[in-house]
Amino acid sequence: MTTRARVLVVEDERQIRRFVRVAVEEEDCDVAEAACVEAALLEASASRPDLVILDLGLPDGDGVDLIRDLRAWSDVPVLILSARSQEDDKIEALDAGADDYLTKPFGVGELRARVRALLRRHVGREGGPSPVVEFGRVVVDLTRRLVTRDGEAVHVTPIEYRLLSILLTHPGKVLTQRNLLREVWGPARVESTHYLRVYVGHLRQKLEDDPAQPRHLLTETGVGYRFQP
Amino acid sequence: MTFEELAGEPRYGAHARTALTLTACAATTALATPLRDHLDLANIVMLFLLTVLFVAVKLGRNAAILASVVSVLCFDVFFVPPRLSLVVSNVQYVVTFAVMLVTALTTTHFTAVLRQRAEEAGRRERRTQALYDLAKRLAGAISVDHVLAATREFLQSQLAAAPVLLLPDKHGDTVIASTPADEVQVEIHVAQVAFEGTAFVRGSDVGGPGRHTTYFPLRGSTRNRGVLAVAFAEGDGEPSAASLSLLDALASLVAVALERLHYADVARSVEMRMLTERLRSSILSALSHDLRTPLTAMVGLADSLTLIKPPLPPAALDVSQALHQQAVRLTGLVGNLLDMARLNAGNVTLRREWQPLEEVVGASIKMLGEALADHPVKVHLDRSLPLVAFDAVLMERVLCNLLENAAKYAPAHSAIELHGKREGDVVAVSVMDHGPGFAATGRESLFDMFVRGVHETASPGTGLGLAICKAIVEAHGGTIEADNRPEGGGVVRFTLPVGNPPIVEDESA
Repeated sequence: MTTRARVLVVEDERQIRRFVRVAVEEEDCDVAEAACVEAALLEASASRPDLVILDLGLPDGDGVDLIRDLRAWSDVPVLILSARSQEDDKIEALDAGADDYLTKPFGVGELRARVRALLRRHVGREGGPSPVVEFGRVVVDLTRRLVTRDGEAVHVTPIEYRLLSILLTHPGKVLTQRNLLREVWGPARVESTHYLRVYVGHLRQKLEDDPAQPRHLLTETGVGYRFQP
Repeated sequence: MTFEELAGEPRYGAHARTALTLTACAATTALATPLRDHLDLANIVMLFLLTVLFVAVKLGRNAAILASVVSVLCFDVFFVPPRLSLVVSNVQYVVTFAVMLVTALTTTHFTAVLRQRAEEAGRRERRTQALYDLAKRLAGAISVDHVLAATREFLQSQLAAAPVLLLPDKHGDTVIASTPADEVQVEIHVAQVAFEGTAFVRGSDVGGPGRHTTYFPLRGSTRNRGVLAVAFAEGDGEPSAASLSLLDALASLVAVALERLHYADVARSVEMRMLTERLRSSILSALSHDLRTPLTAMVGLADSLTLIKPPLPPAALDVSQALHQQAVRLTGLVGNLLDMARLNAGNVTLRREWQPLEEVVGASIKMLGEALADHPVKVHLDRSLPLVAFDAVLMERVLCNLLENAAKYAPAHSAIELHGKREGDVVAVSVMDHGPGFAATGRESLFDMFVRGVHETASPGTGLGLAICKAIVEAHGGTIEADNRPEGGGVVRFTLPVGNPPIVEDESA
């Protein structure tokens, strides 16, 4: 028997809350609403939501601070709604622990897809990450460090493998460039974004059907990368 | 005795000095005559020598020489027997005359040298003091006018000369007189020579009869800040070495003052620009937030009508879909306008990062998604393309606009081609379609704001898409142009400079 997932929507604009609620309820979720940071924290600690949908431009404080507070005691997935086109805000929110973002305006279909993906991952996470990841024609065995495409072994260099494994263990999550650079190359190289781009390019050459139109190793322009299973 | 009294010169003219000298000698003679019987001739000589010393101190070298000779003559005529004649009875008096003359002249010489030294020291001290005062005034000057006023006073008091300040024009390569040069005729070509050099230049005499104008470059730490033209008063002749070194010192002080004013100006305008920029971007982002919030609600609410239970009748669903589409379109238009405002405001801050073109091409195609459903995009990027430094978000904008345009005008199911290759110092990207192409006329103005192609009148749009592309590409130092392919269809081609891509080392493993 499954219980309905609880989703907390934090957004100060009532009309936006309204259609977000309609869309999320369509995914068989219970929806709680909050219009400010304070109410959101209270609601989150009381109802223990399975997903938080958060507007970054809240009137009584920065949404990024809310994410940091939340992350202190919870690993609940956080989906950012950002009205600002500036990439900096998204990066800051993602680095603070947000999982994904939607730039306003967005369609209901897009929203439902993100909500579904985040909830599925949150539930799936309880069993720990799967040691074998499949996407397209590629199978990666994370325990044996083995990458095959159409059953044939693909040679990846140690750095490529490290980059790939970080992306694969966070399916669907947007990983910022800084984050990836720090994880793969160490803190000294966080500014050398061209390394990251060149190595993602190598991985696409080896693993994507059309490296110029990737389907799994996706670019979030100006922000980072995302592995789409 | 003050220095002014010691210097003496300015108080008497040459004739007055001669007259005074002769009077002094006559007075000494008159004074000594009654004492003739009581004093030895040697003591009378002493009186004359005292007179010479006095004249030397009071009236200068030439007067003292005159006094020496006249004294010897007076002594001979009035005191040495036979009196009232130049004839000398005893030959030993010749020795007396000789010694007297030599002593008088030597006294004259040493006194004169002493006077000259004292005079020089005094002049130096006054100049140093004047320079010091000038430096103090210049340090407090807050405008070029203040600098000029201080310079003018200094030159007036020290050299009786008049200055003209010549400053570079707004391009910084030619000088123009910054003050009305009514008192001084400036030869601008000579000033230009001084401005481009490091040493002073003398003007020719055409500047005015008897006027000597000298042009001093104002040497700043990085470049010449202008030229100081100094015109000497009539009849003064060439400036002396001392005057020149004084003027050199003056020129450096003025240069430092102008340089300080220049950097103060720069700092002020930078601060101004930063404030303006900050204000503009905060207005734009507030505007963007305020416009996008209701649009987001409209898009989402229209969309959510499809989820209502029980379902709306098909006609209502049609309307809701139309509402959704129009809201999305409005959002696009508002986005374009805001982007154009941001780009048009100038000073776009590019976040240039070295990256492969392939990545942003892929991201753009994915972003357009449904809009390209009827138009497969064929991407041909040379494998040897170097990394290019560009702002990924803005370049995505360019590619999206171009691909979207191509999709809008090309017939359904025709392919859009995207080619990228290196051409010398640039990377050229072309987006080609199989549509009707661009009209032959007005092709350049396609990239202007609010201009729309002939074929476009039937389709929605503001004519901002290509203008945005142009603004972004040009901010990157590239070019953009539209053309038709010989085999039909339009092509928009833009270039980005290659620059010096960083090297990404291969892994050693």
